[in-house]
Amino acid sequence: MPETVEVEIKGATSRGTLNRRNLLVLLPLIPIFVYLGAFFLFPMSRVLFDSFKSNKGEFTLENFQIVLHNPYRLAFLTSIKLGLVSALTAALPGALFAYLIEIKGSERIKKLVSSLSGVLSSTGGVPLAFMFIAAIGAQGSATTLLKNLGIDLYSGKFTLFSFTGLVIVYLYFQIPIMVVVFTPAVKALRNEWHEAATNLGATRFNYWRNIGIPILFPSFAASFLLLFANGFSAYATARAMTVGNVALVPLQIGSLVDGNIQVGGANIGKALAMGMVLISAVAMIPYLVIQRRTRRWQS
Amino acid sequence: MRKHLIVGVAVALSAAVLPSVTASSANAASAICTAPNLQAAGGMDALVKAAKAEKQLNIITVPRDWANYGEAIDAFQKAFGIKINDDNPDGSSAYELQTIKTAPASKQPDVVDIGITHTGAEAQDSLGRSLFTPYKVANWKDISTDWKDANGLWYGDYSGSISIAYDSTVSPAPTKIADLTNPAYKGMVALGGDPTAATEAFTSVFAAALANGGSLTNVQPGIDFFAALKKSGNFVSVPATGANYASGAYKIALSWSYNGPGAIASAAGIGKTLKYVTPSDAALIAPPYVQAINAKAPHCAAARLWEEFLYSQNKGLTSKTITTADTKLSGSALFAKLQGGQNIWALGAAHPIMEAAMKTKGTLVTPPAGFEIPKGQKTYSPSFDQVVAARDVVNKNWATATA
Repeated sequence: MPETVEVEIKGATSRGTLNRRNLLVLLPLIPIFVYLGAFFLFPMSRVLFDSFKSNKGEFTLENFQIVLHNPYRLAFLTSIKLGLVSALTAALPGALFAYLIEIKGSERIKKLVSSLSGVLSSTGGVPLAFMFIAAIGAQGSATTLLKNLGIDLYSGKFTLFSFTGLVIVYLYFQIPIMVVVFTPAVKALRNEWHEAATNLGATRFNYWRNIGIPILFPSFAASFLLLFANGFSAYATARAMTVGNVALVPLQIGSLVDGNIQVGGANIGKALAMGMVLISAVAMIPYLVIQRRTRRWQS
Repeated sequence: MRKHLIVGVAVALSAAVLPSVTASSANAASAICTAPNLQAAGGMDALVKAAKAEKQLNIITVPRDWANYGEAIDAFQKAFGIKINDDNPDGSSAYELQTIKTAPASKQPDVVDIGITHTGAEAQDSLGRSLFTPYKVANWKDISTDWKDANGLWYGDYSGSISIAYDSTVSPAPTKIADLTNPAYKGMVALGGDPTAATEAFTSVFAAALANGGSLTNVQPGIDFFAALKKSGNFVSVPATGANYASGAYKIALSWSYNGPGAIASAAGIGKTLKYVTPSDAALIAPPYVQAINAKAPHCAAARLWEEFLYSQNKGLTSKTITTADTKLSGSALFAKLQGGQNIWALGAAHPIMEAAMKTKGTLVTPPAGFEIPKGQKTYSPSFDQVVAARDVVNKNWATATA
């Protein structure tokens, strides 16, 4: 997860020095602005512009009318559901794990978990999908092994190539992400608070109810929203495991923009992309607000 | 041409920075860049000479193991000493057209091989002009009028039929699409991708429709068939790629016939035996892919020579049998000795566009074993409009039916 860069200038004595310092601080940021402009703002504005264009280049709202209907409607619902379910199932175990490691773990274990989470959280795409297919796919090696032991994964409704399967695969990176982003919050939970509460006669339950959870909750909620955005927008992993049977917005954009079947639908794809931007923004705004509040406790 | 991969973001950006594209001035001056046929290009001797002088040919999104294209590339390079550059072999038709619209002059493809549904508005620039330049190969009349532009802007080249590809360990061996419901195939059956994005998968659904009471105007039974396979657990939604086959993620797939010879060779390389059979309940020959010459082609003569080569019906020398002495012959004598592209595709288990005419003339080679459509079996070929109608149905209903 990218760290937010925040430039804060405190207690400048006069306006002149403030401006000069401002400039100096901004100088190294220029490459970042150029990068943002070329790879974020410019493409984004083009997508926005094109999403209101018909194939003849005229202004239209039709692209947005189309994406409100099936199969795109279903794709939005499924993508949102995938983001929510994968975030929900990852957030709690991830948070508990982060807490246990931080409180009970030795320095060595903490270091190990921290670097392991860092690596796992960025595992994704085709290799990840392939790992799972080779292990617990219908013909996977673990599936075969279990079958020989008398446990048939595929005897019931379960299949890796479904919504449930995607959630399972996503947990592989979602839980480590939760550990990475939630650990700082646990670190900020000071031991003195617990001692002070105990001295004043608080039970363990009182402490968690009135101090621990209220302090951790904003971080938890913020981490949850980040996981949601991540699960909502993942592309390559889902693409390697499905053939359109799980309708997802990023995959449909791929079909429209670069497929061999849909022709002339590129601008519909861009309208879908704007829909994703909107949903991500709706999820990220509370994230930023909460982040600002939490920082108070973590400084 | 094949699957979809990279969107041309980088291409689009580079186009914003680089000056607009025109054919190189040397070529623009040459009459060959506007020659609409072989005579206008000065005949075969002159065309070969001009093409050799250009030294290079740019093709785009042509996988070597696709319809035996590798052999066509090798033979052409060896015979004429022209280097072939292949940009993004695994790209899509959309990528090919996007490249013409946005790439700098040196990266412009000379020719494209695109899906026939991409010949409409997408193949025009912002002013509504075609991206292609008209050219009619010497054998033009042998291309069915259904599959060519009357003015020669584009022309069908080869098509595929849908085969059942299966691992030799599968028992019993499938012989028809209806067999795929066999409970013995649980967790084994796959498609070549998402039918709303990949032509191979889309055509497979169409074939499944024909095998299950559908017709060229009713593709829904094909969607229902896969929905039922999904329900029974036979259908696994891994894309049927070589890597997934190697890992055992699927054992049976509906596949393009013309990817068969390459896939069989790759399978043999990892100690597996892959077999192909034309389903006895649906022999579907898809609409062809089409060739076209880029209006901004940097190598005008090589582009035209390549088209003449691809549409040649000759039987003859291959990349392995061309000798140095052959390459010293006059252009027309050399060309006449070469195995033509139509037969190269036929040997790659594709159906060359001139198949019917060549059968009559007796110039068609025998396709590889296992890929023939059995004698007497009725074949189906959807028209352009039927494909478009079926596409809309599949796009609308696939996700909901197979969820």
